Amino acid sequence: MFRQLKARFGAPVAMAIAGILGIWLILMVTLPQLQMIDYSLRPSLLPAEIGGPKDGWTLINYVTLFNNDIHLSIFFKTLWSSVLVTSLTLLVSYPLAYYLAKTATPGQAALCLLLLIIPFWINEILRTFSWFILLAFRGPLNEILLTLGLIERPIRFLNGDTGVLVGMVYAYILFMVFPLYNAIESLDGNQIRAARDLGAGSLRTHWRIVIPHAKPGIATGCIMTFMLAAGSYAVPALLGSPGSRWFTQIIYNWFFEGGDWNQGAAYAFLLLILCIGFMALVMRLFKVGLADIAK
Amino acid sequence: MDSSVTLDRVVMRFGDFTAIEPTSLEIRSGEFFSFLGPSGCGKTTLLNIISGFLTPSEGDVRIGDASMRGVAVNHRPTAMIFQNLALFPLMSVYQNIEFGLEVRGVDRTTRRRKADELLDLVALGGSGDKPVSALSGGQKQRVAIARALAVEPRVLLLDEPLSALDLKLRQHMRNELKAIQRKTGITFIYITHDQGEALAMSDRVAVMSAGRIQQVADPETLYHRPKTPFVATFVGENNRLPGRVVECHAGLAVLEVPGLGRLTGRCESELSPGQPAALFVRPEHLSPSSAEEETEAPRLEVRIETVSFEGAWRMLEARLVATGDTLRILAGQGEGSALQPGQTASFGYAPDKAIVMADDGSPMLDAETGEIQEAATRPDRESPHVSSA
Ligand SMILES: Nc1ncnc2c1ncn2[C@@H]1O[C@H](COP(=O)(O)OP(=O)(O)OP(=O)(O)O)[C@@H](O)[C@H]1O
Ligand SMILES: [Mg+2]
Repeated sequence: MFRQLKARFGAPVAMAIAGILGIWLILMVTLPQLQMIDYSLRPSLLPAEIGGPKDGWTLINYVTLFNNDIHLSIFFKTLWSSVLVTSLTLLVSYPLAYYLAKTATPGQAALCLLLLIIPFWINEILRTFSWFILLAFRGPLNEILLTLGLIERPIRFLNGDTGVLVGMVYAYILFMVFPLYNAIESLDGNQIRAARDLGAGSLRTHWRIVIPHAKPGIATGCIMTFMLAAGSYAVPALLGSPGSRWFTQIIYNWFFEGGDWNQGAAYAFLLLILCIGFMALVMRLFKVGLADIAK
Repeated sequence: MDSSVTLDRVVMRFGDFTAIEPTSLEIRSGEFFSFLGPSGCGKTTLLNIISGFLTPSEGDVRIGDASMRGVAVNHRPTAMIFQNLALFPLMSVYQNIEFGLEVRGVDRTTRRRKADELLDLVALGGSGDKPVSALSGGQKQRVAIARALAVEPRVLLLDEPLSALDLKLRQHMRNELKAIQRKTGITFIYITHDQGEALAMSDRVAVMSAGRIQQVADPETLYHRPKTPFVATFVGENNRLPGRVVECHAGLAVLEVPGLGRLTGRCESELSPGQPAALFVRPEHLSPSSAEEETEAPRLEVRIETVSFEGAWRMLEARLVATGDTLRILAGQGEGSALQPGQTASFGYAPDKAIVMADDGSPMLDAETGEIQEAATRPDRESPHVSSA
């Protein structure tokens, strides 16, 4: 890449661009991360003790999680719920993406995309809050269901995980729809027609032709959705109940309520490791490489 | 089994646009039938109606005795070979061929045996485990054929399957397709805009233009006895000399052609005097006539413009001295072969080799540009110098 830049702008400019990029990467990305790693590996000490005999590298902050049953269960619940959110989002997005890519006329597709995107012009907190209103015990959704006679008494959507799930599927649907749409879009329509022509029903056509083709898109969408879900703070904070806390909330508490940055950093890294682990697993399952996903 | 295909007053409209005008046709069981026509005339549309990808706006398709109305694509006894083949790129050759059988719940060993048989049939034995991407163009072609044949269709639909191949391979595959058709006895419906392909392979050909079938006939008839000006110009080369009918009886018509006088040719249908018509004579039916000969045969004075040597023959591009219109002449090894550009010469034809047809207003192929011209835009259509005799 440097060679291309050099050919295009000459050596001094190319060097300047590369230099700025390098400085930016080191100062803004690498150093803070290293600082965090350093934090996470040191015990939380009073200011007076820093540099003293108790200061030194230790894994104690990481071990805390495994000794704290509540935190550990929230950690696994976050993992499990994020997987659930990811699967639900995939389930909702796939038909939508297929419709957009293959069935809809260009006009319908444009309209549909617009309707999908417009809500995203609004801040995530506000969007999530509107779900809070919709799902409230005396909110419009319960009202409608009651009027239609589908339920006899209002449901407490916001009591358990339902609200969080709904809010997250909604918040991250675009991150799933777009990679899927791109992948399905690139499938030659004649492939689908050929499968039908050879006798395949529509389920089998999806299973054997469309989904294998869309695999990189599915993997990308799942990884993005999972990471966003696992790292989400606003949605569980607004739509969750005390019983459905998210791991990010625990991290937040360490940092800003417990004032223990070292502990918070260790928890944050554990969450990061979880996400990377999930990504590796998905890539393995779908047999796709990083290059396929970057496409 | 009766594998005939019947189109019963089929019409296809896309919004306001009529892609297929009312069409009725019977394709016989076990026949190699071609649809021949220029790009955009509705060939693929017609094929999609037969295969079930499109539902006709009106009319019905029958295969054997069974109406296909309401029968979904995956339940029709047809198989299609797509214009771009549409092989499944993520599957091996075996998996491609076995796909249709797998769908039908055929067990693994039977599937593999069948696939091997088909690979042998298309001369690809032993390539079953290769990924599709490792195949050459001709091999992909064969896999597509094998994949379609695997489901034992009664009707095989082929949408310009050879168009992506180079000339040599195309000619080879023609013979192979024909051989496969003979061996399997399946009804082949073949689509092409290449007349050579249609004439060489088909039992019968339907020539289409702008959503309408112009003529259905065997290749010989199509070539020697075209029914419409479009067929005359689209199938093989033809020279067209427009004029007005003077008289027509006993199967011979006399035409007054401005600048050339009276020309005689065969006529198949009734023509009334004064009617606009044109005389069609093929390049190979024009032969040099010496000035001394005092015959009744019509004589056309031309100036030779270009001579292209094509091996066994030469194609002469000439202009009629009287009108300036182009005339194409095929000269064999004989007399015409010595002519050079710039020379003038005189050519004649046997009247029974030329055809006079009424100008029916249908589009036709322009000999000079090779483009289809709509009747309305044809320069000679309203030209004032065409006066009645
Ligand atoms: N879904 C559609 N909507 C609107 N118009 C269509 C549709 N499908 C085909 N057409 C029109 O119908 C006409 C015939 O199309 P068709 O694809 O059958 O042509 P074709 O004879 O197969 O041409 P080619 O040799 O280029 O493949 C064209 O003018 C095309 O634009
Ligand atoms: Mg076509």
